[in-house]
Amino acid sequence: MNVLRVLGGIVVHGIERLGRGTMFLYEVVAGSWVLVPRFYLVIQQVFAVGVLTLLIILVSGLFVGLVLGLQGYNTLIKFGAEDSLGLLVALSLVRELGPVVTALLFAGRAGSALTAEIGLMKATEQLAGMEMMAVNPLTRVIAPRFIAGVIAMPLLAAMFSAIGVMGGQMVGVGLLGVDSGAFWSQMQNGVDFHEDILNGVVKSFVFGIVISGIAVFEGYDAVPTSEGVASATNRTVVYSSLAVLGLDFIMTALMFGGI
Amino acid sequence: MAPIIVPKLTNKKAGNRRVSSTAVPSNSDSLVAIRDVTFKYGARTILDNLSLDIARGKVTAIMGGSGCGKTTLLNLIGGRIKPSRGQVLVDGLSVPDLSKKELFALRKRMALLFQTGALFTDLSVFENVAFPIREHTKLPEPLLRHVVLMKLNTVGLRGARDLMPSELSGGMARRVALARAIVMEPMMIMYDEPFTGLDPISKGVIAKQIRELNDALGITSIVVSHDVVETCLISDYAYLMGDGRIIGQGTPAEVQQSKSEYVRQFMDGRAEGPVPYTYPATDYLDDLLGGGAR
Repeated sequence: MNVLRVLGGIVVHGIERLGRGTMFLYEVVAGSWVLVPRFYLVIQQVFAVGVLTLLIILVSGLFVGLVLGLQGYNTLIKFGAEDSLGLLVALSLVRELGPVVTALLFAGRAGSALTAEIGLMKATEQLAGMEMMAVNPLTRVIAPRFIAGVIAMPLLAAMFSAIGVMGGQMVGVGLLGVDSGAFWSQMQNGVDFHEDILNGVVKSFVFGIVISGIAVFEGYDAVPTSEGVASATNRTVVYSSLAVLGLDFIMTALMFGGI
Repeated sequence: MAPIIVPKLTNKKAGNRRVSSTAVPSNSDSLVAIRDVTFKYGARTILDNLSLDIARGKVTAIMGGSGCGKTTLLNLIGGRIKPSRGQVLVDGLSVPDLSKKELFALRKRMALLFQTGALFTDLSVFENVAFPIREHTKLPEPLLRHVVLMKLNTVGLRGARDLMPSELSGGMARRVALARAIVMEPMMIMYDEPFTGLDPISKGVIAKQIRELNDALGITSIVVSHDVVETCLISDYAYLMGDGRIIGQGTPAEVQQSKSEYVRQFMDGRAEGPVPYTYPATDYLDDLLGGGAR
């Protein structure tokens, strides 16, 4: 009976937080029109969450591309199909690895930073101070960060995929001797703009909404203590990562079928 | 100390708009009227049927021990929380009944100086003070610069304009927050423990500036503090709180001379008295020798 009560409490608490988070995001999005004449606030945050995340994205993308090139070559050569390496690398990156790995890295780097920053602003009464100055922190602090995350995520995923393809080309063409013309032409013929690239962009856009939403909500809802901010940051990374992996499966099934 | 020069700012949105639907008649001498207010946090009663008035143009002190409900009172006046029962009137407006828009309009005419200063850590001193002007007015940049520098000069920190909050001492941070609080020329400033953690020089400077700003700007000041000496020096009227109630009031001299046991315990800093110092617990000897749970 006690276990049931605890389980029930957890479920009710989870639903309550989900509802509160949804209402919070609605308020953020509904109030974000005030940022139209002050778009520089969003640009500043695109720098903070996007440009400052670029290094880890590019380095990771390069290594993922290098590994894909190597593994792909060793598999394809068994069937004499090593000329299709470019197509394999590009499809893997554009459809799956680009959006998903970028989202996981984005949650760890930018999402956690967003939560910690907003949580600390709450703990040091900066958000309360803003409210007392008749400035709504949802539109002044939260909305620019949320929108910046949604903008930055697809751009980072595109750069991850691009540098990953370069990595695959470096290994495949540069080191393992795959024909350069075959590598690029197979890729050009096999990758469809709508089917592959656009669906990848849609995925990364959805991941951007989910990660940024979780990050700003957890920061705003954090208990204003050092322990509370640490827990909130932790929750952001865990919830975002799980949400990304779960949503990826659902979107892949919807976009590419097969189920 | 730098002379207090007061540049006049016109708020483009706030003005002195009154919200007729929620306007409640109150004593015109009182800017703030608290009527039979009870505030509960869970099962715990923080404020218990409390009533008080804050006179216009005066410095009113609200003193009391930690946890007696002083900051809660400021939060009620600022509309950050709502009372469980009773009325909170500011300039004739019933604060708990205001819509968000109306509350923000009222807040443009008041300022709250937080105990920590609550400066924005990603903005310089100059930008912190400029923040409310940028948010609420379309003042041209050269004029904005003048206003900010005048306010910073008022608190003696014009030379610190380019520093970041992390580079400021506690006293300096409090003074920057004071400059930010007065930059929109509010009708009322609430100070939450303005002397806590400051050295004697900073305490004296802040106290003097609170008094001078009140008189120079013609505003109303509420100083919440447990620092008896500094607070009594600058205030016109004082309330003493204990257990969520008013336990003494009068001019600072009257409060200091009061024979009330509650007042004497606070003024003399005694652990024994009607206000309990120790948190309720089981018998000390039983607790030590019991050997049970922690």
